Amino acid sequence: MLSGTVTSVFGNDINTDDIIPAMYLIKSDDPEYFATYAFVKFDPDFRTRCLKSQANIIVAGKNFACGSSREQAVYTLQFNRVVCVIAQSFPDIFYRNCLANGLPLVTLEDTSGLALDDRLEIDLDAGLIRNRTRNTSHPFQMKTDDRRTFQAGGMTARVRAHLEEILTRQG
Amino acid sequence: MGQTLVEKIVSRQAGRPVHAGDLIGRLPITKLFFNDVIGPPAIKGLANLFGETFKRHGKPVQVFDRRRIFFLPDHSVPALSVEVAEGVDLMEAFGREQGVKVYREGDGIEHVVLIEGGHIVPWDIVLGTDSHTCTNGAMGALAFGVGTTEGVYALTTGHLYDFVVPETIRFELTGTFGKGVYSKDLILYVIGKMGAGGCSRRVAEFVGDGVRRMSMDARTTICNMAVEMSGRTGIMPYDETLGAYLKGRAQWPVEPIESDPDARYADRMTVDLSSLEPMISFPHKPANATPVSRVEEMIARSQAQPTPDFPAVTSDRITDAFLGACTNARYEDLVEAAKVMRGHKVHPDVSFVVIPASRKVYERAMDEGILQVFVKAGANVESSNCGPCFGSHMGVLSRNAQMISSSNRNYQGRMGSREARIFLASPATVTASAIEGRLADPRKYL
Repeated sequence: MLSGTVTSVFGNDINTDDIIPAMYLIKSDDPEYFATYAFVKFDPDFRTRCLKSQANIIVAGKNFACGSSREQAVYTLQFNRVVCVIAQSFPDIFYRNCLANGLPLVTLEDTSGLALDDRLEIDLDAGLIRNRTRNTSHPFQMKTDDRRTFQAGGMTARVRAHLEEILTRQG
Repeated sequence: MGQTLVEKIVSRQAGRPVHAGDLIGRLPITKLFFNDVIGPPAIKGLANLFGETFKRHGKPVQVFDRRRIFFLPDHSVPALSVEVAEGVDLMEAFGREQGVKVYREGDGIEHVVLIEGGHIVPWDIVLGTDSHTCTNGAMGALAFGVGTTEGVYALTTGHLYDFVVPETIRFELTGTFGKGVYSKDLILYVIGKMGAGGCSRRVAEFVGDGVRRMSMDARTTICNMAVEMSGRTGIMPYDETLGAYLKGRAQWPVEPIESDPDARYADRMTVDLSSLEPMISFPHKPANATPVSRVEEMIARSQAQPTPDFPAVTSDRITDAFLGACTNARYEDLVEAAKVMRGHKVHPDVSFVVIPASRKVYERAMDEGILQVFVKAGANVESSNCGPCFGSHMGVLSRNAQMISSSNRNYQGRMGSREARIFLASPATVTASAIEGRLADPRKYL
């Protein structure tokens, strides 16, 4: 069970340049480095809000994190203690980058029942968001394979197993 | 049931017939490339994630197939910092160790260089650690961007995991472009109609007479921007033009591909190319596209109803112009832009940066006197790299800037200050605007 506070509510088409501008990507390959510059041009207060909570949840409109394939966008959120993003839709590249890093993404067609400062519990197994602030609940769909990957924290274990097979076959 | 281009390519690699919605647990890929932004962390990731496994088998860390992997330093070169220089060093050392091709700084942009070199052919499944990898779809290949981790997985095993075969939207292009209208205008028009998320999770397949009449340079511009409507990728069928382009160039066997007449599409759109005029996308997203004749109207609208991704634009004044990037800095782009530039000067208030997309394009444009046209007119011609599109060097924007660019993204802060305004257009429109110092229609120069 994931739980946290909604500390950011965004509109449609937030892009990965908004999350972490390109100029920071070439300064470090330490995944933690990028957290300081989260939304620095688009929403400079983002990090301050995140620091106040142990577990942050982002609520967004359609097409959250479109654009560049930079996986640093995922690290930027994770190292600001973002535990889940709930949005009306996600484009493919960001979705796959979140699968690979185990940052759960919940697709919810109608996000109007979720607001800033709401306390949420997200049950991935049951496919249910419980809004403890408003005493409401919101069911959502998630593919079983995706749920397992999010819960396993990514695909690396599976890829290692595949590599084992390949190396064994090579002898 | 018939198959789309994507269904055919995935079927071949998966070894069984597939259709949209099918899940492939392990999908073999055929080409993989890294740039200077993601290459260095990926090289480290290979050792970190899989070093132990290789060691246990008594083997050195090795890539899945050295012939199918490429490293291209293009985003921040010539190296703009010590970190970048050391990242390039790391890629070069890795290339020597593994026998993998590493291009030189200045050889050009990844999505241009591999196509030029004949490394991408129809039926390929291409992964690149850059969202504009979709450019390669113009070669009849399935190509899309991945993040660092999936890049490392592919580098290690040559596979993509848990791939869901996407649905396809079919864009039928008919007719011929009018004077001063190019494939860039077409794709800006399509993105404007579809919206920033309009092709989300789906592949954009471009077909029809309109495509068949286009050069390869023009086609790549279209596929390059499929991701700007959140398309999984863009793709085009094989035809005679592609066959002729690959002749004597292809490093791999070439086999034609086209979709079946009874393939199933999620949606369809037809565009008559002769109905289009030059397009300009307003800040801060490519989907804010308008015909050049309605710029005044668009400015008024931005002032009346501004939003975070459609901010108020106060004038049509231009301070910066960029002709470059993986979208539009190929040979033909420079030829068309030079037609506009000849006999004119860059406006005194404008900084005009011209960056040919590859060393080969640079050399040809130099040999044919095209670069001289820009230099004599007062433009800054730079060596091949991604330029200000990556927002780090070669023309970073101030808070007062209004830039017109032939690149593919005009996000807030993309090329520098968050206050700057970026407009997107074709090379001809960019050049006309650089001459006039304001958003301009290129047709009067042609």
